[in-house]
Amino acid sequence: MTTSFQYLLSGLAIGGIYALVALGFHIMWSAAKAVNFAHGDTLMLGGVLAVLGVDAGLPLWLACLLAIVAGGVFGVLLERFAVRPFTGSNTSIGWMLTTIAVGIMVESLATMQFGGFSRPLPSPGIERAVNIFGAGVYPQELAIPCIALLAMFGFRALQQRTLIGRAMQAVSHNRQAAALMGIDVNRVVAFSFALAALFGAGAGVLVAPVVQASATMGTLLGLKGFAVAIIGGITSAPGVVIAGLGFGIVEKFVEGYISTAAREIVGFGSMIVVLLIFPQGLFGKKEVFKV
Amino acid sequence: MTTFLRLGFALFALILIAIPLTAGNEYELRLFMLFLIYGVIAVGLNILVGLSGLVSLGQAGLFALGSYTGAILATRLGFDILFASLGAAVVSGIFGVLLAYPTVRVRGVYLAVVTIAFGLIVENVAIEWQALTGGTTGLTGIPSPNIFGFPLSGYPFYGILALTLFVATLLAHNLKWSRYGRAMLAVSQSETAARSIGVNATAMRTLAFVIASIAAGVAGTFYAFLNAYISPDIFTFSDSVRFLLMVILGGAGSTFGPVVGAYVLTYLPEHLQQFALWQKFAYGALLLLVMFVVPRGILGTLAHLFRRVVKTERGVNPAEGTPAGETLRQGERIQKVELLARDLTVRFGGLAALSRASLRVKPGEVHALIGPNGAGKSTFVNTISGFYSPTEGSFELDGVQLGGRKPHEIARLGLARTFQNTELFGELSVLENVMVGFQQRLDYGIVDAALRTPRFRRQEKECRSAAIGLLDLVGLMEYANEQARFLPFGHQRRLEIARALAAGPRLLLLDEPAAGLTTQEIDELDAMIRRISALGVSILLIEHHVDLIMAVADTVTVLDYGQVIASDRPAVVQDDPRVIEAYFGGSLNKADQVGAVA
Repeated sequence: MTTSFQYLLSGLAIGGIYALVALGFHIMWSAAKAVNFAHGDTLMLGGVLAVLGVDAGLPLWLACLLAIVAGGVFGVLLERFAVRPFTGSNTSIGWMLTTIAVGIMVESLATMQFGGFSRPLPSPGIERAVNIFGAGVYPQELAIPCIALLAMFGFRALQQRTLIGRAMQAVSHNRQAAALMGIDVNRVVAFSFALAALFGAGAGVLVAPVVQASATMGTLLGLKGFAVAIIGGITSAPGVVIAGLGFGIVEKFVEGYISTAAREIVGFGSMIVVLLIFPQGLFGKKEVFKV
Repeated sequence: MTTFLRLGFALFALILIAIPLTAGNEYELRLFMLFLIYGVIAVGLNILVGLSGLVSLGQAGLFALGSYTGAILATRLGFDILFASLGAAVVSGIFGVLLAYPTVRVRGVYLAVVTIAFGLIVENVAIEWQALTGGTTGLTGIPSPNIFGFPLSGYPFYGILALTLFVATLLAHNLKWSRYGRAMLAVSQSETAARSIGVNATAMRTLAFVIASIAAGVAGTFYAFLNAYISPDIFTFSDSVRFLLMVILGGAGSTFGPVVGAYVLTYLPEHLQQFALWQKFAYGALLLLVMFVVPRGILGTLAHLFRRVVKTERGVNPAEGTPAGETLRQGERIQKVELLARDLTVRFGGLAALSRASLRVKPGEVHALIGPNGAGKSTFVNTISGFYSPTEGSFELDGVQLGGRKPHEIARLGLARTFQNTELFGELSVLENVMVGFQQRLDYGIVDAALRTPRFRRQEKECRSAAIGLLDLVGLMEYANEQARFLPFGHQRRLEIARALAAGPRLLLLDEPAAGLTTQEIDELDAMIRRISALGVSILLIEHHVDLIMAVADTVTVLDYGQVIASDRPAVVQDDPRVIEAYFGGSLNKADQVGAVA
């Protein structure tokens, strides 16, 4: 019982990270019908830059803030120079490969700066574990899923209450019509990628104290975040967040009772199964086919 | 095959023979053999990426599957290299079919993610299933390659690899220039149109996946034999990226592109070593550079420049054509056909786009379907051609029920169509567009195509001349070799008609063929419809242009709000009060009455 509860709580923590990453994929997809395959590296940038910032003697809060902002800038640049030139064509292979290329470059730069090893980000959230019904967790781990939910609700409020949020919705419904209504589509897309990158880098900062920060930490987290986005339905923000939390919990149980390799098999296998049964994800909207 | 390509293959053979003679040491030869193995993967993947337009980022998974299957067969059961690779081909082929299955429902980036997931699953199964795969330590002690008991070391093994790559490249080339290659290209450029003329899109995508998988599987076995040791960390996501990049860098869809790409990316790491720490960065930068500078790939760009310098003949010789009449007669089959739709109802959510619409196209007639915007004409057309499924009602062609059949099956039963928004295979030539239409009438198999058997040659020749004949019928002979997307709009419409006719329809469905045409073009269309009708093809014409309808139609059916409100000879329908009301609103009298009541 205690073990199960432990898995549940740690699952929620890592699930919150997946949820934040997946939320980023949702935002990018809604804006551009394209995503950033280097989104995992945005997360890595957040974690690694925060650690480097602390190394440089910055206070923790400032280091984290700067890391997240840098992640956002990365997102904007990536959209402008790697995604936008290729969104016009009808195949997705262009931006897939360019963003993968940028990811490889960023990862290799980070390896050079950071070295090949992993280091945790010091955080008050992991100083002392708290005991809940016999399960030991760090406050940081408890905070992560809450922050993911907050991010989702915040994003929803942004969409419903602000001009830019409504413009984002308009662009996601119909890019051309939005442009004809005087919306600067390129700016909305750039803003969306920036927001997605902020969430991604934020996830990196949040997870860096729990799992260690390293130049390669982003690859698998990014791919899983994408898998989660597809399971939840990439068109639905609440869907991807719920799927993220669920995915994290299932992972922890499989990892705990079987093995790490089995965790990946079950995780990615379930993504394929979901996609076969629900092509638009569990909570996604069906894309209409017209002749 | 053009002289140019013959030279290419001769040069390729020459290089493959010359390399072992010039290789300085064993390491150099081994590296070249590694390139040959990667080349086989890339050539196979090119069928998937270059022809079918599908992206796989899980090729390393299939490579691993083949590698492990071959290695296990060789170490446990003592299979030689031939049988081990056959076993690997079967296993990876089966997984190819499984991977193709999701394409029925998802494409593009979704499919890419499925393949990524597949690759990661294979990698982790290899780690987890220790009893079979040796887990993270991998499989060691793979015997040196032998065939039928004869040991193959050094040059003989090289010979087998070189021969495999050469033959694979040749077969892939032959496949591209056959009905299979054309159909794959067609599906990737407009799936809707391809299905509407009888191409089984799912079968073509599955075929492409299976070919790519078998190539990766066989290459995997060769790799296991070459390396004598395999472990899960050889088959990672970044290898999948590299395999895809080989195809893109060399030139997706081109014959030698994947080979060139494989060569560059096998040797590149050797040269990048001088960058030491910057090696991975340089690799990423190169990938980026390729996408921006040569998105068509090395050979794709060269071919593009070549075509700009050396102009090919735009048209074809009309003498090569078979008269369209002969093509459409289709041997002894009955020509004239009757379409019967009974009480068709189609609902989208709460909206009934069609409600209990019945229609009968009599054998050999030109039947016009008209109605104001939103009357349900397009829904009707999309339903009887199989793209929408009706909520209620039935429809049949000469007594054969069509309900529940897929578009390509309906097309094969004799119903071909054109589209309101033209749906051409833009990057195929005008002639090839029409030749895709013949797909269902060619019955040579994949082996015929790969080996270019006499049967293949005969049928292709017939197909070509029939296509030329149809181009003559619609007057596009002088544009035959032009890419379809460069045709002016009016010509695109005509090409669609020729392509639909190539499918050998007994009922031709024209969806607003006059939309956007000039008056003169409409006159030509009028004449064309008469010519086609005279050849015995029944026509269902969906149109707005009243003049055209009055001129060519034998019967006119009027739809309004999803219901048939009149169906008769043009002259009768023209005077029908309900038709006038549908088009011009209520009559004056009625308007007066309404006004009086108010």
